[in-house]
Amino acid sequence: MASAALSHLTQLLDSKHLAGTLTRPMEGGRPCIGTGVSLLDDAEHLAGGWPKGQLSEVIGSPSSGRTSVVMATLAAVTQQGGMVALVDVADRLDPASAEAAGVVLDRLLWVRGPQLSWGASQMTVGDLAVQRGLRAFDLIVRAGGVAVVVFDVADVPARHLRSLAASTWLRLGYVLEGRDTVGLVMGAQPIGRSAHGVSLTLQAKGKWTGRSAQSRRLTGLAVTPDVSQRVRRVRSAQPSGKEATPCLFALSATL
Amino acid sequence: MFICLIRDSLSASKPGVLETVARACSPRVEAHGDDVVVCDARGLTRVIGAPAVIAEEMRRMAWERGLGVRVAIAGSQTAAWLLAHVRPGATIVPSGDEARMLERLPLSALIILPAPPRPTMALPSSKPAPPSTQNDMQPLRTSKAGQSDLQSRDVAEALRICDRWGLVTLGDLARLPRADVLTRMGPVGVRLHQAACGEDATPMVPTGEAPRFVERMELEWPVEGLEPLSFVLARLCDALSVTLARADRGAVTITTRLRLVTKAMHERTLTLPSPMREAKTLRTLILLDLEAHPAPAGIDVVEVECGVTPGRIAQGSLLAYTVPTPEDLSTLLARLQALVGDTRVGAPVIVDTHNPRVSSMKPFALKNLESAVAKASADKPLNQEPRTELRTEPRTLNAEPRTSIRRLRVPVPVRVRVERGRPVSVALSERITLSERTSVRESKDVTTAAGPWRTSGHWWTSDAQTWDRDEWDVALETGVIYRLARNRQTDAWELEGEID
Repeated sequence: MASAALSHLTQLLDSKHLAGTLTRPMEGGRPCIGTGVSLLDDAEHLAGGWPKGQLSEVIGSPSSGRTSVVMATLAAVTQQGGMVALVDVADRLDPASAEAAGVVLDRLLWVRGPQLSWGASQMTVGDLAVQRGLRAFDLIVRAGGVAVVVFDVADVPARHLRSLAASTWLRLGYVLEGRDTVGLVMGAQPIGRSAHGVSLTLQAKGKWTGRSAQSRRLTGLAVTPDVSQRVRRVRSAQPSGKEATPCLFALSATL
Repeated sequence: MFICLIRDSLSASKPGVLETVARACSPRVEAHGDDVVVCDARGLTRVIGAPAVIAEEMRRMAWERGLGVRVAIAGSQTAAWLLAHVRPGATIVPSGDEARMLERLPLSALIILPAPPRPTMALPSSKPAPPSTQNDMQPLRTSKAGQSDLQSRDVAEALRICDRWGLVTLGDLARLPRADVLTRMGPVGVRLHQAACGEDATPMVPTGEAPRFVERMELEWPVEGLEPLSFVLARLCDALSVTLARADRGAVTITTRLRLVTKAMHERTLTLPSPMREAKTLRTLILLDLEAHPAPAGIDVVEVECGVTPGRIAQGSLLAYTVPTPEDLSTLLARLQALVGDTRVGAPVIVDTHNPRVSSMKPFALKNLESAVAKASADKPLNQEPRTELRTEPRTLNAEPRTSIRRLRVPVPVRVRVERGRPVSVALSERITLSERTSVRESKDVTTAAGPWRTSGHWWTSDAQTWDRDEWDVALETGVIYRLARNRQTDAWELEGEID
């Protein structure tokens, strides 16, 4: 009887577009923020999205779709009224791409790193930029009220990241703990995440149409994700070894 | 006893001077714009002297401030008002002689009777107050409940009736029985009769003095550096916060004045994005600003003044994402600006140009969030999706999100080998802002190329903004997809960014 009444109430709220007011049992035992890519949010991969209060990472080589996935997340959050922040250490954000991806730019706090190249002669400047980025990330998380904070070090050479203290990422994870903020680190290789965070490794191949160079067009990227730590519910349901699904989703090019 | 001060017609208007003079003599002041002030003079004879002395003293004070004034002192506001408007210089009316002093004035003088002011409390503001739109010389009118609204045309009509009756002076009107005037002219006639007799229809309504939210501390020893100054600022901001809370006001500007040991003044003014009164936030903002703009010498005197606005009423929502409070956001932005610089923090802006290399940013403000929420709500038809859809439930999202380009803010020169009009290999000519995995010097073969896409602009000018290039999307054997551009003027190739 109770379940029937609850089901009726749920249907009623759904029909009135008030599903958000319903407190549901937490799936996987922790609240999440959707990635903006429906195929990534399914139970086979992230099971709801990025876990709140945890430091997760998006890993991939250049042209692997990592920026597009992060932009999809920022777009999903900003379109729902949230505020997001991007600590852009190498100053690589293209506002036009972000807007085309659906990001509401007015709700994106953009912290830009210095304009510099990462040559050997600028080791100190590069280290300083990374340190400042970490400090900015820390300040934003501590301020509260920011749904997603992205630390973009995808273009930072590994030697600058290796020079950081090993406890840096643990400390960032500790700062995030218990907050409603999702911390995302975007890099070319595994950097660091919280114990309950998620590492999403991406690989992609370009999708082209047309035969000749003049008629050819880049239509997007065929992305293959690899989640190295899934939520508990999914992990227990599947064998420990996992196989990367070939081309889970595609990114469409509009540029 | 009341004093009416009027700016002399030969002097230029100076906002606030008359009120300052009046407040220097009396605590009860009724301001009628910038050019007329009425104040209560009871008890002033014991402080300043006889009425004639008071009048001369006020004229002198106004003259020192560059303003010539007319002064009238009488037992009623109405008599003082009428005499100050009609007679130049100083006019002193002995107590009880108001009607006699007024009886020779023409009836047309009644057209300048004051309108009863509404009691208001002025607020200090960072901007100068707009000029009063109230016409101080406007005819009698009142809008108090229970009374008829006396318009200028009513007064003019009443004066025309008096003229037809053969009345010339106020004395002629005052000698008529008031009951008969009421019967024939109504409330307007009664008010004019009262004025002709020198009687007040309404009591004086003092205008509240604009409170200043300022705290000041003179130090026994000069302080240098921010750390000792923070303790001083903490005390001042605590006191200011309490004062603001009691007045239900929030600070919108903070002006910090530091008197230095060199006798110079170091003044900084911060404009806050939203009203706030939390002591810790105010202190932090002042300190961060002084950190970026430090005082050049030791500090003797510290003064903090707030420009205020009425308190903010905020309504939270269970259905929307939480955003930082204005205080937290202000502090965060100030800290970030101190960390990376003013020009490196903000919200991205799309520049109205076809040149993809141009980007800009604007200051991040809470109103951006509010306007964005309002826009999002306005964009949705009410009958389709209520605002509750703003909540975090994952929506059905696009299965194919769009690709992004990681653009190099300063394009990097590359060496490109071209065969049959299309690039076949790419070599980076220097180490660039890419990860070590791809920042290679050796040449890499192009597996797929698409282009050219020609863009140009500002060709009608001869400045550096002109661009004319062919863009290519090329995939290298490493799997990276670059966007290259060939400058059609110099035939030089540049790396714009990578598709990611």
